[in-house]
Amino acid sequence: MSQEEVDILKRTLARERASRKAAEEILEAKSAELYELNQKLEASHKELTTLYSKTNSQLQGVFENIADAYVIMDLWGNVLKMNQAATDLLGFNAKKEDINLMNLVREDEVSRVAPSFKRLLEKGSITDFKVNIKTKNSEQKLVHINASTIYEDGRAVAAQGIVRDITLENKYQQALVAEKQKYGNIIANMNLGLVEVNNNDEILMVNQSFEEMSGYTEEELLGKKGGDVFQADKDNDVIKRENEKRIKGESNSYELKVKNKSGDIRYWLISGAPNYDLKGNTIGSIGIHLDITELKNLEFQKEKLLQKLEKSNEELQEYAHIVSHDLKSPLRSIDALISWLKEDNKDTLDDVSLRNIGLIETTLEKMEQLISDILNYSSVASDNTESEPVNTHLLVEDLLKILYIPEQINIKLINPLPVVNGDKTKLQQVFQNLISNAVKFNDKEKGYVEIGAKEDGKYYRFSIKDNGIGIEPQFHEKVFKIFHSLNKSKDSTGIGLSLVKKIINLHDGKIWLESKPGEGTTFYFTLKK
Amino acid sequence: MKNLKVLLIEDDMIEVMKLGRATSSLNLNHKIIEANNGEEALKLLEEKDKLPDIILLDLNMPKINGIEFLKILKADDRLKYIPTIILTTSNNQRDLLECYKIGVAGYVLKPLKYEDYVSKIEKLLGYWSINELITV
Repeated sequence: MSQEEVDILKRTLARERASRKAAEEILEAKSAELYELNQKLEASHKELTTLYSKTNSQLQGVFENIADAYVIMDLWGNVLKMNQAATDLLGFNAKKEDINLMNLVREDEVSRVAPSFKRLLEKGSITDFKVNIKTKNSEQKLVHINASTIYEDGRAVAAQGIVRDITLENKYQQALVAEKQKYGNIIANMNLGLVEVNNNDEILMVNQSFEEMSGYTEEELLGKKGGDVFQADKDNDVIKRENEKRIKGESNSYELKVKNKSGDIRYWLISGAPNYDLKGNTIGSIGIHLDITELKNLEFQKEKLLQKLEKSNEELQEYAHIVSHDLKSPLRSIDALISWLKEDNKDTLDDVSLRNIGLIETTLEKMEQLISDILNYSSVASDNTESEPVNTHLLVEDLLKILYIPEQINIKLINPLPVVNGDKTKLQQVFQNLISNAVKFNDKEKGYVEIGAKEDGKYYRFSIKDNGIGIEPQFHEKVFKIFHSLNKSKDSTGIGLSLVKKIINLHDGKIWLESKPGEGTTFYFTLKK
Repeated sequence: MKNLKVLLIEDDMIEVMKLGRATSSLNLNHKIIEANNGEEALKLLEEKDKLPDIILLDLNMPKINGIEFLKILKADDRLKYIPTIILTTSNNQRDLLECYKIGVAGYVLKPLKYEDYVSKIEKLLGYWSINELITV
């Protein structure tokens, strides 16, 4: 081999080496690239797996935890999977036993279920399907179902559904409907007129009773303002005022004078309440109308009667005054004439005549007293009783200064008397009568009268106690009746105690007595604090 | 004490007698003029130069009653100065109030007993006879 050949071979070899190296380098680079790619792939796969398991567990979680029952079944209704809520609802556990949902349907509903099932398979879903079922525990339930078909490679393989128990909801709804009907019936049949108006007071609805009350039909009233149609005195702005209140959300009640279709004046008691829409906005009001004309007429009649009574009371009092004046005047004349007779004939009149004249004078006095008492009694009846704070302690003390008290009788106030509301003059008459009676009818050598007062709930209980002659039990009631004087004497007309009772009654109090004949009497009476 | 000219307006004859007898038994020399009712009294009062010093007026009278008479009197520019004392049996609070509202110089109740009457009249006339009176 020549040197040339050897060189050629060497060069060739060198070239081959170089090219192999280059190829090796390329290979190496590629392999590194591949490795890197592989690494990346692996990472992304891991990521995907994680994601998948996460999503899967999320789904599982949703499946397990949704409040509604969730069921997957095959195309024949056999349960493949169900969540806890479904177990709770149906009473079965798919993990432990095989269930076909068709078996749960209530017998009378089966015919209705089949077509729906068919539709689910054909159309891919059913919504708002309501059916009655019987659970394992034999409970009747109404359920609401939304279901859809599950496809695999475009072929229906199963169905999933959400089942909601609406038994209660349905019951509520039924109750609501029943309630609504109940109130509807009440409204239709009640004797109260019902009117619904909008915020402009335009009538939206009236019930039959209102039609009867007003004389108008519903058609005639729709869209009209109640105030325009019915109100009798248009100047009165009561409707406007009350409606404003209602718009503010206040319920109210007021009386209204109205004119019905035939022009009769009636009185209605209207109770109204604002009407709201679902969002809570006031959209008008509902008014209940009660015809109170009869009641109102009675009221007017009563007022008239009262006025009449007041007037006749007044007249009666005037009359009493005039009569008493007319009766008293002749007494004065007789007394004057008698005393002139006595004066002019004082030398010729004998003892008997003088005594008889004395009797005439006594009779005159008694007659005078009687007239005064009757006048007093009739005056008390009048309602012009004034009410002011009266210090009864001072009143009695003043009275004791005026009254004639014999020496053998000791009068004392055993405790401070209170201040009460009343008519001073009339209360004075009460004390005056009771104290003078206590003094008058005392037969003891050492007589006493004790005046006191005690708190008694809302009242003060006054007592006037004496150690006088006493009153027999059978007269305890009678003494308060007019003209029932127990002791006929010149200064007793039988009106005093009835006057006292009348005054006490006028002051919303009571009077009674306790007594032992021969030992004494205590009069009690109450006056409001 | 001066002697008064007293106009008694009273429809009851015995009441008139009572005043007369009372004054005479009291030895009073007052001049008493009588009128049986308001109309008669008004006629008497027309003679302006013979006006009484005081008037004793009964309330319950026919025709013009005491209160009506009093109103007429008090509405008159000359007559309203004559002190007028009511002499009546009526202690009706309404009458009392009305009389004082219109304007009276006194309100005396006629007592039952004649002797009380005499005593009241003595005091009444005694009081007015020591008063300074004006003549318009």
